[in-house]
Amino acid sequence: MVDHAGIIRIADAALRSNAGSSAQLRMPAPAASGDDTEQLGLATPQFQDIPLSPAAFRRNESTVKLLVSASAVEGITGTLAFDSADVLFDTAAGVVVNGVLYAITDRVASLLLGEPFCYCLTLRAPVR
Amino acid sequence: MQNAKDTFYEMLRGRLAALNPGRTIVLRGVVRPGVLVEENELVSTVVLPDCFRVNWTQAAGDPDGDLATIALQCEIEYETAGTALNGGMDRGRALSAMDAELQATINTDTQTALKSNYKGLTTGLAVEPMATSIWWGQLVFGKVEIKDDRLARTGTVMVMSYEKTSEL
Repeated sequence: MVDHAGIIRIADAALRSNAGSSAQLRMPAPAASGDDTEQLGLATPQFQDIPLSPAAFRRNESTVKLLVSASAVEGITGTLAFDSADVLFDTAAGVVVNGVLYAITDRVASLLLGEPFCYCLTLRAPVR
Repeated sequence: MQNAKDTFYEMLRGRLAALNPGRTIVLRGVVRPGVLVEENELVSTVVLPDCFRVNWTQAAGDPDGDLATIALQCEIEYETAGTALNGGMDRGRALSAMDAELQATINTDTQTALKSNYKGLTTGLAVEPMATSIWWGQLVFGKVEIKDDRLARTGTVMVMSYEKTSEL
């Protein structure tokens, strides 16, 4: 019988062994309370790039996808005190892969035994 | 033009917060009144419900006279899914409440505000009141749109301002 931790270890191993990629989640720093400059577009927030690993990046002509282990997402969600992975991805400014910032347009959690073991992020490349 | 946009936003935010302090959003970890200017925020595919999203869509100018006049079209989008505990069955009432708040904020007796320059805030200076004003017309409500489980509407208002030569 495989428990949830075992399933995550299997997913992590699969992501690492299948062309593991280097990706970072770009998170904006918390806004300054009562500060009008950001609300008026006069100032831009600081950003923090947080490693997403293990992950696998896939790009073809029509779609860009990033598979991320649930262990990585749970780690970041816990460290930054987010309620859920959904809120984390909603708040993120995007994902940086090979120096390119991609916007997150959709995400799907792959579940087994009712728990996520992997997240599939659909990304949008920047317009050049 | 930017001073007029900033002043209108500050007016809208202040009046909405005074009218309904409970309408707030959490954006990047900070609770703030439920109104934002889309062009001043991070690009996002997520549309926040239960808040007013300001977009500046058209602009026109009249350079004749001692002071140039500009007209800016402001579209205020908002949508709601109602209350989850009610299964969203109150989404129509929630949208009506937002309609009423917006109408009470914009269609008031005083449809003018002293224009201010907010650029000094970046260097720690105070907001600088200017010698000209902004004023605006009546709010026009658009049709209700159904977006999955949400009801959405766009209110449009024309904002006008005199522009000093230094602003052009």
